[in-house]
Amino acid sequence: MTGLFNRLSPQGLRILALLAVILLLLAFFASQIDGYFNARLFSRISGSVAIMALIATAQTLVILTRNIDLSIGSVVGFTAFAAGNLVSTNPEMSALLLVLFCCCFGACFGAVNGLIVAYGRVPSIIVTLATMAIFRSLLVEYSDGKSITTNTLPAWLTEFPNLPVFTVFGLEFRAAFVAALIVVLAAHLALTRLRPMRQFFAVGSNPEAAEMAGIDARRVVFSAFVLSGALAGLAGLMFLARFGNITVVAGLGFELKSVAAAVVGGVNIFGGSGTVIGALLGAVLVDVIDTSLVRWAIVSEFWREAVLGALILLSVTTDTLFTRRLVAWRAARAHARREAALNQEARP
Amino acid sequence: MKTTKILGAVAALMLGGAGLAYADAIKLEGGKDTSMILLPKFLGILVFDQANEGAQEAHKELANPGKLDFVGPTPENSVAGQIEIMTTAATQKLGAVMLSNNAGDQIAPAAEAAQAAGTKVVTWDSPIPSAKGESVFVAQVDFGSIGVVMADMAHSILGGAGEMAVLSATPDAANQNAWIEAMKKTLAEDAKYKDIKLVDVVYGDDQSEVSYNRALALVDKYPNLGLIMAPTTVGIQAAAKAMQDEGLCDRVRVSGLGLPSEMVSYTMNGCAPEFALWDFRDLGYLSYYTAYGLATGQLKGEIGETFTAGRMGDYTIEADPGREGAKRILMGPFTVYNKDNVEAAAK
Repeated sequence: MTGLFNRLSPQGLRILALLAVILLLLAFFASQIDGYFNARLFSRISGSVAIMALIATAQTLVILTRNIDLSIGSVVGFTAFAAGNLVSTNPEMSALLLVLFCCCFGACFGAVNGLIVAYGRVPSIIVTLATMAIFRSLLVEYSDGKSITTNTLPAWLTEFPNLPVFTVFGLEFRAAFVAALIVVLAAHLALTRLRPMRQFFAVGSNPEAAEMAGIDARRVVFSAFVLSGALAGLAGLMFLARFGNITVVAGLGFELKSVAAAVVGGVNIFGGSGTVIGALLGAVLVDVIDTSLVRWAIVSEFWREAVLGALILLSVTTDTLFTRRLVAWRAARAHARREAALNQEARP
Repeated sequence: MKTTKILGAVAALMLGGAGLAYADAIKLEGGKDTSMILLPKFLGILVFDQANEGAQEAHKELANPGKLDFVGPTPENSVAGQIEIMTTAATQKLGAVMLSNNAGDQIAPAAEAAQAAGTKVVTWDSPIPSAKGESVFVAQVDFGSIGVVMADMAHSILGGAGEMAVLSATPDAANQNAWIEAMKKTLAEDAKYKDIKLVDVVYGDDQSEVSYNRALALVDKYPNLGLIMAPTTVGIQAAAKAMQDEGLCDRVRVSGLGLPSEMVSYTMNGCAPEFALWDFRDLGYLSYYTAYGLATGQLKGEIGETFTAGRMGDYTIEADPGREGAKRILMGPFTVYNKDNVEAAAK
């Protein structure tokens, strides 16, 4: 047990800490709300996390390279609308083609951001703040005041998110959640195993050193934005399938939610460190708080946002302190062991 | 519903009589040059575009050589954007601004500045709560009667007894807040509704995903909930979809204000057996006639003034019973949709 504990990386520890915070929160809300734990709670949270996990992953890729993408919500909304338009005029089109369309559509927006940030050398917070507004206004223009409604969409699309895939201990895993988990897992494997993706960390932790090591930092930043756009596009498709009714406000505020999930999930806002698994748990944590607060009778409608903010702060602080303590404690123990070993050797 | 129509007919007869006895309805003279803007809560919502179609129709009919622009803020910037557009309007020497207010009383100073610069401010759909800076409000329906209609739909869907919750738009929306108040009053005052319990009011911000999640949270929070009343076109369809997705339609029904084309499937499958709405094209048309009359000086905007609004007939400026010191023009009536008439209306 201690052996395993000692071998865990700080990121691994952080994930354990996050899980602990989530369990604590669940226990707290269970003590406050009657009938809190039921199979529905899992469906609720997994349903919205399916979308949040994708945008949190998208945001993580960009944050890792010391950038930020505030246009994510607009890209999700635009893709959802465009995909809805496309599929309602061509109801016969194949699912695979639609997925490809959404990824490419989102990636185009990402490429615009990436070009200006990486090659135009404009800070990403400014670029994406501008494109957030520009993409949203383009959507308003493109939509022509129409909205996409569920009855124009093919049944396979609107039924997909709620298809039960398998059930564990009475918890129903639905298709959208399982699909999102697969995407997050794939992104995790890519980030940890593939050399071009490892470069995201290098560029994020020290751009100069990365350049010296022969990494084309611009290309890396550009690809981070393109990948992020593609994932946001996929989230847009998921959004369309789940909600069916798309107006021009679709995805509004997702940029902040994605940043919150990533940061709560332990992704360093200054780049260079973090995991998408952490971002996924961050999304779960934020959603647990959000879903539970609505049911907590003593928090009124108007205070919920503030309480949500406070709880996010609290969980991040707890998590940071906890992780730091654990790392320090482990280092101290390792040090003590080395000392002891040295003393043993020194003894005649 | 029937009573509203009869009342409307009686009122029209009385107006007609009054018109004969005193002055004829003012016939607005077309062809006068005045530029106006139609300012919705934000761009990209179907009903506001319908209002614009109605206004454009009236604009052509009156052969106004000036311009009619449909200008609105983007969704994420609704409140600040509306105030900004109103502020700019004051400097552009516009004849009138037609406003569906989403900014509460925060827009009043800008509206007063516009009035001082000679620009009339006609509100439609959603008024300025204090009426400061507002010339007249074109009310789609009597706000009190919306309360009665919503209470009646709840009564019929719940079979006279049960728990209901309201899923509204934004906490700042003056029209939704007034309707909810009117419904609460109806529920409290009439013994017919004594077994209907309003358990909560929540806000979905007129966003599909927020409304969807709020609707599900309501079901979790109140195990005995029988009805979600959503007086917003975005909220009602999000709530209906949420109940349908989770297979809850036999337990929790949805009602409120919705567009037939967006609600038809939910009405036919029983998730939203009844809902109501008025015609937004007519609302835009009537608002334009009112604004044109005021901007060209043919209407003074005084209580008791009656004028002819083209194809829609005669309307009179009256005191607004819901807001002290405010003036309104009442359009009405509205239609209650159910299985029998929703399919025809959706086409």
